[in-house]
Amino acid sequence: MMLKLGVFELTGCGGCALNILFLYEKLFDLLEFYEIKEFHMASSFREHDALDVAVVTGSVSTQRDLNLLHYARNHSNYLIALGTCATHGNVQASVEGKIREKLEKVYGTKANPMRALDSTPIVQHVAVDYALPGCPYDKDEIYQVLISLAKGIEPPTKDYPVCVECKLNEYECVLVKKEIPCLGPITLGGCNAACIKSGVGCIGCRGPLPKEANPASEFEILKELGYDEEYIRRKFKTFARGELRW
Amino acid sequence: MRYVKLPQENFEEFFNSLKRWGKLYAPVKKGDIYSFQNVETLSEITLDYTRTMLPPKKFFVRPKDEMLKLKEGHWEEANGTEPIVLFGVHSCDIHGLEILDKVYLSDPVDPYYKKRRENSIIIGISCMPDEYCFCKSLGTDFAMHGFDLFLHELPDGWLVRVGSVKGHEIAWGSEELFENVTEEDFHHFREFEEKRTNSFKRSLNKEGLADILDLAFDSPVWKKYERICLGCGNCNMVCPTCRCYEVCDLWINAYEAVRVRRYDSCFMETHGLVAGGHNFRPTRLDRFRHRYYCKNYFDPESGFNCVGCGRCDEFCPAKIEHVKVLDEVREGLQ
Repeated sequence: MMLKLGVFELTGCGGCALNILFLYEKLFDLLEFYEIKEFHMASSFREHDALDVAVVTGSVSTQRDLNLLHYARNHSNYLIALGTCATHGNVQASVEGKIREKLEKVYGTKANPMRALDSTPIVQHVAVDYALPGCPYDKDEIYQVLISLAKGIEPPTKDYPVCVECKLNEYECVLVKKEIPCLGPITLGGCNAACIKSGVGCIGCRGPLPKEANPASEFEILKELGYDEEYIRRKFKTFARGELRW
Repeated sequence: MRYVKLPQENFEEFFNSLKRWGKLYAPVKKGDIYSFQNVETLSEITLDYTRTMLPPKKFFVRPKDEMLKLKEGHWEEANGTEPIVLFGVHSCDIHGLEILDKVYLSDPVDPYYKKRRENSIIIGISCMPDEYCFCKSLGTDFAMHGFDLFLHELPDGWLVRVGSVKGHEIAWGSEELFENVTEEDFHHFREFEEKRTNSFKRSLNKEGLADILDLAFDSPVWKKYERICLGCGNCNMVCPTCRCYEVCDLWINAYEAVRVRRYDSCFMETHGLVAGGHNFRPTRLDRFRHRYYCKNYFDPESGFNCVGCGRCDEFCPAKIEHVKVLDEVREGLQ
């Protein structure tokens, strides 16, 4: 029996939904097991009934987002928070201040016709069955998760930082050797160390390694290398709001 | 053991002749690190390298290693093994491989490791210590076995120790390239070794270490370092004796999969997690301490699981020094 899949987009750049389509011919592997009931980025076709798997991308930034999120949660058995907007709030959630003040600053009025909310990750509003961060995530990750689910296997979660995959690929350590500010040691892995491969430091787009990150030590290391405190603080909160505390 | 001399003018020809025995790998400079890479010419390699980031372990227990393929509902062996020649392996890394042999070749034998070990030729090379090396204090600064040939630098060539039957065959196969060793060569060899012995800047005090670790389980030193340690696992990834791996299945299409194993790290939260949800090492403090016990003490009979190569120090973002931690633990007891 085919599983029913829905992909929902809240506020974000749209890249996470697009990244699913970037699976190209591998999408057909997913269609062996799934019927797509809603996927705005791919088709206007929409058939709303109970879903087996709902994939939700983006952050809750408007009342419409919140309603759609509740709809997805209430109509699905398994909900995947996909991408850093959904799992950590991403850049839009790291902007400090109240929504009315922000509206006034940008538009000169506190009026809120779009019913905008302070941006928050979806994990703050509903229970999710699987959280896959990344800005964007590696498309093979969602592929593995969806096929595992279709086969009745609980998809494994990653428990290691970016450094592990970086070393498995034998990339030169940019933090130790080039003194580039790299958040690899405290950031959840799964990206295959894509940034370090290109010789740049990890920007922490997948959020902190759950429970295990040691931001206090990372902070001291970067300070020692000569980066100022404000710079490090901003770097830490770009994708993960205030989650990295020390 | 047999000793022969390889004059410098024959060195390149000897190097090229090794390709007859398998795919040739040697230390190459990549940015600011060294790495064992497939090479074709002598000019690509760096003979006086300090240490490669990943040790030669990577050829026998690969960082990411396909073990099995799921095809049409059946698992198939995925592992092709080809003969390889590892050129320019340092003594500490040869000792590292011998420690891995104890783990992977004792019962139950790891078939992947065994096949690759049997299909490899190890050519050692002499080296000079840098600020991270402490192999001398662990007795791993000189290899008596575990290699096929070992090259020692001389002013005008190389003194070659033949360490195995295969090594003998290689030397025999290129007999015309070698000369007999003279008294003068031995003199130069001893001179080099003496200079090397006096160049070590770091040493590990082994005296009574097992007892010290027995008594120091609750030492505040572990707690101090637990706060500095990032728990990133870099020290495990680059260690020549770390041998833990994780096995995972990956889908390659709707109906086919591969079973892959990769290096695991005891700094990861799930490393000590067992069925039923119990975790033997639930905190970073437990895991930080555990690594030191594993390297130095775990089972006193099996000896040290550390060869003093200095990789964990060189690649630790928090600049934690292995020897210093153990010295502080020792001092903490006094």
